[in-house]
Amino acid sequence: MIRMLMRVLGPEYAGPVRRTVALMTVTAMVEGLSYGLLVPVLRALFGGDPGGARPWLVAFGAAVAVYAVLRYLSDLSGMRGATVLLRGMFHRLGDHLARLPIGWYGGARVGEVSVLASRGVLEAMGVLAHLLGPYVSACVTPLTIVVVMLGFDWRLGLAALAAAPVVAAIQVWTGRSMAASDAERHERGHEATGRVIEYLQAQPVLRAGGRTGERFRLLDDSLRELQRASRRTVLSALPGVLGLTLTVQAVFTALLALGAYLALGGDIGAAELLAILVLAARCADPLLSLSDLGGKLRAARAELGRLDAVLSTEPLPEASDPVRPAHHGLEFDSVTFRQDGRTVIDDLFLSVPEGQRLAVVGPSGAGKSTLLQLIARFHDVDGGAVRVGGADVRDVGTEVLTSRIAIVFQDVYLFDGTIEENVRLGRPDAGEAELRAAATAARLDEVIERLPGGWAAKVGEGGALLSGGERQRVSIARALLKDAPIVLLDEVTSALDPVNEAAVHEGVERLMAGRTVVMVAHRLRTVQRADRVVFLDGGRIVEEGGHDELLRRGGRYAGFWHGSTAPDIRWRRGRRAG
Amino acid sequence: MAPELATRQRSAPPPVGLLRPYLGSFAAVVVLQVIGSVAGLAPLLAVAELGRALLSPGPLDHGHVRIVVIAGAAGLLVRLVFTAASSGIGHLLDDRVQLAFRRRLAERLGRVPIGWFSRRRTGELAKVVGDDVSAVHPFVAHAPGELVAAFVVPLVSLLYLFAVDWRLTLITLVPVVLAVALVPLMMTPARLREQKAFDAAMGRVANTVVEFVRGIAVVKAFGTGERAHRRFVTAVDEFVAVFFRWVRGMSVIAAGMQLALSPPFVLLAVLAGGAALITSGDLPPADLLPFLLLGLGLTAPVAALGHGFDDMQAARRAVGRIKEVLAVPPLPEPVHPAGPRGHRVELRDVRFGYEAGREVLRGIDLVLEPGTVTAVVGPSGSGKSTLVQLLPRFYDPTGGSVTLGGVDLREIGSRDLYRMVSFVFQDVRLLRASVMDNIALAVPHAGFNDVVRAARLADIHDRIAELPRGYDTVIGEEAGLSGGEAQRISIARALLADAPVLVLDEATAFADPRTEQAVRRALATLKDDRTILVIAHRLETIADADTIVMLDDGVIVERGSPAELLARDGEFAAFSRTYRSATALQRGGEPR
Repeated sequence: MIRMLMRVLGPEYAGPVRRTVALMTVTAMVEGLSYGLLVPVLRALFGGDPGGARPWLVAFGAAVAVYAVLRYLSDLSGMRGATVLLRGMFHRLGDHLARLPIGWYGGARVGEVSVLASRGVLEAMGVLAHLLGPYVSACVTPLTIVVVMLGFDWRLGLAALAAAPVVAAIQVWTGRSMAASDAERHERGHEATGRVIEYLQAQPVLRAGGRTGERFRLLDDSLRELQRASRRTVLSALPGVLGLTLTVQAVFTALLALGAYLALGGDIGAAELLAILVLAARCADPLLSLSDLGGKLRAARAELGRLDAVLSTEPLPEASDPVRPAHHGLEFDSVTFRQDGRTVIDDLFLSVPEGQRLAVVGPSGAGKSTLLQLIARFHDVDGGAVRVGGADVRDVGTEVLTSRIAIVFQDVYLFDGTIEENVRLGRPDAGEAELRAAATAARLDEVIERLPGGWAAKVGEGGALLSGGERQRVSIARALLKDAPIVLLDEVTSALDPVNEAAVHEGVERLMAGRTVVMVAHRLRTVQRADRVVFLDGGRIVEEGGHDELLRRGGRYAGFWHGSTAPDIRWRRGRRAG
Repeated sequence: MAPELATRQRSAPPPVGLLRPYLGSFAAVVVLQVIGSVAGLAPLLAVAELGRALLSPGPLDHGHVRIVVIAGAAGLLVRLVFTAASSGIGHLLDDRVQLAFRRRLAERLGRVPIGWFSRRRTGELAKVVGDDVSAVHPFVAHAPGELVAAFVVPLVSLLYLFAVDWRLTLITLVPVVLAVALVPLMMTPARLREQKAFDAAMGRVANTVVEFVRGIAVVKAFGTGERAHRRFVTAVDEFVAVFFRWVRGMSVIAAGMQLALSPPFVLLAVLAGGAALITSGDLPPADLLPFLLLGLGLTAPVAALGHGFDDMQAARRAVGRIKEVLAVPPLPEPVHPAGPRGHRVELRDVRFGYEAGREVLRGIDLVLEPGTVTAVVGPSGSGKSTLVQLLPRFYDPTGGSVTLGGVDLREIGSRDLYRMVSFVFQDVRLLRASVMDNIALAVPHAGFNDVVRAARLADIHDRIAELPRGYDTVIGEEAGLSGGEAQRISIARALLADAPVLVLDEATAFADPRTEQAVRRALATLKDDRTILVIAHRLETIADADTIVMLDDGVIVERGSPAELLARDGEFAAFSRTYRSATALQRGGEPR
C-alpha cells in the first residue's frame, strides 16, 4: 500500500510520508506502553495500599500527556502531509495529463479521467489524513500491549500473542479475496452507468417501443447484475469479518479462562490478573476495527491503482536532439497507423508543398481525421514517417511543432471564461489591435456586438452559452490569431446551417490565405477551391488530382460529387419553373 | 429555475415510503444488533465479577468462578452470531434497497417529459442512479444497527455503573462532557465560513478538472499546455490554502475532542477518581473494575456522531438529489385514453415558454395534412426546434392545443402516441446491443424480414452484412460504426417504426453524402400518406416541401408553397436569398 502510494507520488514525498508513519507508530506505542502503568496502579489499589498508587498514577498522567502531544503532532502531520501530497498529486496528474497524446483521450476516457482527477485523488490522498493513523494505531497498540503483558506474565502474554499471526493471516487473506470481488463490483457499476446513460439518451425510441423501467431488459439486467456483484462482495467479506471477530474473542475467552485457572491455583496475584484482563480488553476494540478500516483502505488502494495506471502511461517520446522544420510543406512517407487492431492508415504516400491546399474526401471511417491527427502528432505512426518541413514529426520538439500548426475542429470546445480569454489562447501575448483584427476576420465581431458584455461575455462550460456557429467563429479567430503557417481543418462547417456556414466560410478563407492547408470535408462544395483533392477509402488514397480532373475521370470522387449535389441541381430547376 | 422550484414544492413521497416493504428487515437488523452488542458486555461484566470473587476475603468459590467464565464466553458467542447476522442482513438489505431505488428512478425517468432531459446533463442523471444510490449505503447498511447500538449499549452500561457507584459514574462521564462542550466551538461562524470556503474550493477543483480534461485537445493543439492548466493548478493551490486554513482552525479543537474521547484519557479520569474514592474508603476496590472496563464505552455515542458524519452528510445530500428526481412530475397520462381518427395534425393558438414570462412560441396555428411535407424554416432562435418537439410531446404547450386525428395529444396514451409519431433527430446514439435490436427498438416484435427491408431502404444492409455476425453483431462490442452508418441505422429504425406521422430535424449535417441520399430516398418512400414535419436547412429539402412555414420570434410570418412564397418576394424570399448566396459561397463562386 505504502509502496504504491510512494510510486504514485514520486520519490520527493517519501520523506514526509515516512516521517508521518513513524510518528503515528511512536504514538501508538506510547499509548500501548502507557497502559503498562495500569498494572502497578491497580496492584496498589487492589492490594489494599491506595496510597502506593499515587506515584504510578502521576506517571500514568505524564504518559497520557506525552501521548496527547504526540497524537496531536501526528494528526497534524497526517493532515499537513495529506494536503501537501494532495497538491503534489494534483500537479503531477495535471502535468502528466497535459503530456499524454491526444490519441489516448478516446471514448469514455474523458469521463473516467475527470472522476479520477477529482474524487479519485481526494480519496487516495485521504489515506494519509484519515485512515493511516487509525490503522497504524489498531495494529501497533495491541502489539505493544501484548509485549507489556509478556513482561508481567509470560503465560498470559504468550496466549495473547498467539492471536497476532492469525489476525495478520486473516487480514492478508481478506485483502486478497476482496480485491477480486471489489474489482468486479466496480466493473458492474461501470457497466450499469453506461446502460443508464443509454437508457436516458434513447428515451424517445424506448418509449415508442413501450420499454421503460423494468421493461428495458438491458438496463434492468445490468442493475440486477450490479446487485448480484455487490451481494457477492458482502458475502466474500463475511468470512474475514467473522474470522477476525472469532479470533479476537476466542483469545479473550482463553485469557479469561486461563487467568481464572491460574488464579484458582494461586499462580498469579488477583491484582495482576485483573490488570492484565483490563489490558486485554484494550487490545480487543482496536483489533475489531481492523476489518472496517481494511475495507476503506482497499477502496482507497483501488483508487490509487487507477491513478498509478494513468501515471504510468507513457507520453509520446520527445526528441533528445530536436530538429527545426526547414519549410512548411508536408509529407507522408509510407505511413501505416493502427488503432485497436484495425489498420486506419495503410501505407500512405502523400505530399503537400508549402502554400498549397489539399482537400481530403471520402466516406466516413476512411481515416480522414486520423490523417490530420498524425500531422499534429496526436499519435505516433506504426510504420513510415510523417514529415513537416522535411523533418520527421517525432524529431521536432512538441512546442515547435504545435507553434507551426493551427487546427480547427468540427466540435469546438471553449473554456469556461470570457470570449477574449478563449480567443487569446491562440497567442496569449497578442496586442489589442491584433485581437480585434482576428475577430473581424473571423466575423466574430458581430457576435461580440450582440452579446451582453461584449468581449467580456462568458461562454459557459464548453462554450454552451454560444451557438455552434458562434463557437466555430471563436475557434477560427483563435486560429487566425495564432498565425501558424500550417492550417488543419476538420469538417469545420459541416455542423452549421447555411447562414452560419457562410459566415464561418469567410473566416476560413482568410485563415487559409497564403498557408499550407489540409482540410477534411464531406461537403464537397467546400472542396472545389483546393489545389488538389485526395479521395481516401480504407486508409488508402484511391484517387487524387484536381477537382475538375477527377470529375472528368468519372471515378469514385465523381460518384460522390454527383450524389452530394444532385438534389441541389433539382432545386435550381424548381426555381426556374417557379 | 422556476420549474425546478415548482417540482420541489410539489414534493412526492420521500424515499422512506420506498423503504416500507423492508421495515421488517430493518427491525430485524436493529434487534439483532442490539442483542449482540448488549451481549458483548457480558465478558466485561465477567471480568468485573471475577475481580469481585478474587478480591473478596475468604476462600474462593470455584463453582462461581467457573460460571462467570462460561457466562463471559457465552456472551461473546452471542455477540459474534448476532452482530454478524445483523451486519449480513443489513448489507444484503442494502443491495435490495439499492436495486429498488434504481428501478424506481429508471421507472420515473421513463415517464418524465422528454423535454425535461434536454435541460439536464445525462452524466449527472446517471450519477443519481449510480453513485448517489450507492451513497445511501451508510443510511441503510450501517446507520440503523450501529447507531442504535451506539446509544443502547452505553445506556445499559450507564445504568449498571450508576447502580455500582453514582459518584464514580459522574467522574467517568467527565471526558464525554468535555468532548460535547467542544462541539459548539466547531460551529462558530468563523468555522462555518471556513467549511463553506472549503466546499466551494473543492467544487472549483472538480470543475476545472473536468474542463481541463475535456479541453485537452485544444490545450495541446495550441501548445499552451502550461497556460491552459494554470486554471486547474490555481484552483488546486487555492483549495490547498483553504484546506490549510481549515486544518489550522480546527486542529486544536479537534485534537482536544479526540484526546477527551481517547481511551488513555478516560482511563486516567476513572483511575484518578477511583483512587481518591478508594483512599477515602468510599469505594470497595473491586467496584473500580466495571468502570475501567465499561467506562470507555460511554464515549461511543459522541464518537459515533463524529465518526461517519461525513458519510452521513454525503448520504443525506445524495438522498436529496434522488428525491428531487423522484419528485419530477411525470407526463400526465390520460385517464380515458382516446384513439385518434386519422393522422391530421392541428396546432391551435399554441403557446409555449420554457420559463414563465418568456414565450418561445407565441400563438401558432398550423395544420399538417396527411400526405404532405411541411418544412419549417427560420433564423436560429425562432422556435423551430421547440415547435417540432411538441408533436412527440416532449413538452406540453402552455397555451392552446395540439391535436392528432382530432384528439388532443394529452388525451392519447403515450404508447399510442409514440406508435403514431416517430422522429429522426440529429443526435443518433446506438445502444450496445445487436444491430437487430437497435433497428427494432421501437417495434420489439418486428420480423427479421421487415428489419432487413428497412435496412436496405436506409442503405445500411450491405454494411451490416459485412459485420462479423451480421444482424446479431453487438454494436460497440464486436463492431463500431461510423457516424454516417449510425445515422443510417436510425433511419432504418424510423422506417421500420412505420408511424403515420414523422418529425425530422435536419438541423445539422449528415455525416456523408451517402447518408444524405439515404434520408432523401427514405423521405420519398415514406411520403405517400404520411404527415411529415421537417426542420429544413437544405435548400433541396425546402424546395421539395409542399408547404413552407417561415417562423420568426415564435410566430409564423409567412406560409405557402415554395413557389408562392418566392413569387411573393417577402420574408421567405429574402431569407432564401441569404441561404442561396451562402450556399453559393461554399460552392466557391458567384451565384449561378
